[in-house]
Amino acid sequence: MWAFANKVAVAGIGYSALTRRSETPLVQLAKDAIDTALADAGLTRRDLDGIATSPGMPRYGGAKGTVEGVDVVTPWYLGEQLGVQNQIAYTGWTNGMVTQAFIDAAMAVASGVCSHAVVYRALHVPAGSYINFDSAYASGQDQYFAPFGFSVPPAWAATVLRRYFEMFGYSREDMARYIVDNRANTQLNPNGYWLGKTLERDDYLDARMIADPMSILDCDIPVDGCAAILLTSAERARDLRQKPALLSGMAAGTHSPPTGVPMTLEDIWTGCEQVADRIWASSGMAPGDMDNAHLYDGFSPFVFLWLEGLGICKRGEGLAFLRDGHAALGGKLPINTGGGALGEGRLHGMTQMIEAASQVSDRCGERQVPGARRAIATISNGLTKSTAFVFSRDET
Amino acid sequence: MSDTSEKQEAVRPRPFPDDASADYWRAANEGRLAIQRCRQCRHWNHAPSMNCPACGSVDLAFEDVSGEAKLFSWTEIHHSPGPAFADKLPLLVGIVELVEQPHLLLVANLPGSRAEDLRLGMPLQVEFERISEDCALPQFRAVGGQS
Ligand SMILES: [Zn+2]
Repeated sequence: MWAFANKVAVAGIGYSALTRRSETPLVQLAKDAIDTALADAGLTRRDLDGIATSPGMPRYGGAKGTVEGVDVVTPWYLGEQLGVQNQIAYTGWTNGMVTQAFIDAAMAVASGVCSHAVVYRALHVPAGSYINFDSAYASGQDQYFAPFGFSVPPAWAATVLRRYFEMFGYSREDMARYIVDNRANTQLNPNGYWLGKTLERDDYLDARMIADPMSILDCDIPVDGCAAILLTSAERARDLRQKPALLSGMAAGTHSPPTGVPMTLEDIWTGCEQVADRIWASSGMAPGDMDNAHLYDGFSPFVFLWLEGLGICKRGEGLAFLRDGHAALGGKLPINTGGGALGEGRLHGMTQMIEAASQVSDRCGERQVPGARRAIATISNGLTKSTAFVFSRDET
Repeated sequence: MSDTSEKQEAVRPRPFPDDASADYWRAANEGRLAIQRCRQCRHWNHAPSMNCPACGSVDLAFEDVSGEAKLFSWTEIHHSPGPAFADKLPLLVGIVELVEQPHLLLVANLPGSRAEDLRLGMPLQVEFERISEDCALPQFRAVGGQS
């Protein structure tokens, strides 16, 4: 078990507005989210001494925006903008995902390097088509994909989903229940991008195809916005405004993706299983201990592949679990109770982290899983850079 | 060489060969499918790299393969991945598994196939599609009307 299990806690959460394309510069959205997280905890900027993120732009193909404050917000720049740069003891910046920065920040708090660390993810949607490979040449890994028109990440996920469908006899019909229920969960989440827009089964079955069998409704919605999580020690958190969500375990995966192709079903299974071994070892818990789960849904198939990798379902049975409604609120294991990234907007796993922490501290309002004691969050697709976290109710 | 109006037309992205891949693309341009292979442990490796992923050796060379493959997975792309593909939709992309080694996978289009005829494991054979004077892409076609 992790030596610091339950010694670090989420004490505050904050969102900026989440819109498709914001008039507000990204740095202002980041400041909004951080100020909200601080106020949520009953703190002010003066208390902040740790700041961490993974600031990279995810845009695939074409020019990658790197303008500070517009396309990206680095922690140094943000520290200056918040006027806290002279009090920051810990700065985290990872090239992996933001949840890797969360691991680093949790360790900085656990070891006493800083007292109040904010982990944020600010994301910007550039002008034009989100995915548009308009270069004349493709280099690096792209040279094996882009000449064939295979430069679109949803198409990569589509080859995973197609293989799964063919191996186990599923079709998109089996995914519809989850997508519809997930959109219903979104209606109970004040931060949800798709608030006010419900879905029917036929909306999913008739949805515009991006790369068959992946439709537009199987992809998360890129947004301009920021989410922030305030971390402190469990002890300190008990003196603050909100009920703490204790961090009981954390894990990061190291299973490399294949090289000739972007991802395969088999590699994702192996990667998810590796992360699972690590998170259950770190937390000293087992799948049956979880009351709810927040499984990465940048692309919808990852949800049931995580169910399988975590050991909650056998290989090939995860989609049946979703099809049969067990992931709905009130089901055996409610999943992505706030609508996940499919419903709330793309924040690279912050959605899953915040929802998991919120469930174990009774902060989910109408979508609260009554008495939830344990929640797991998994981020990314199981391959390198993937992470998992267990949060627990504070029962001291 | 080409005039400005031609340059502004959508160009299908061409592979930009590097130290590891130059021989792969050179062979393809000559109408051969050559895959990198470790001279120490005999592991086939794609995409090519500077070290053998199985044993770490740097003693790697390209060998021609049979060009026979089985269909590992596929997708039919409806949303244009870039300006060069807008008039090619829907576009079939396959993940093909070369018969030389399990999980020796590469990406290719599937000329002559229709999505509804595709099956996991169906046999395919390489052919080459010339996209420029100095570049041909390995593509895979269903074998003998079994599609
Ligand atoms: Zn070798």
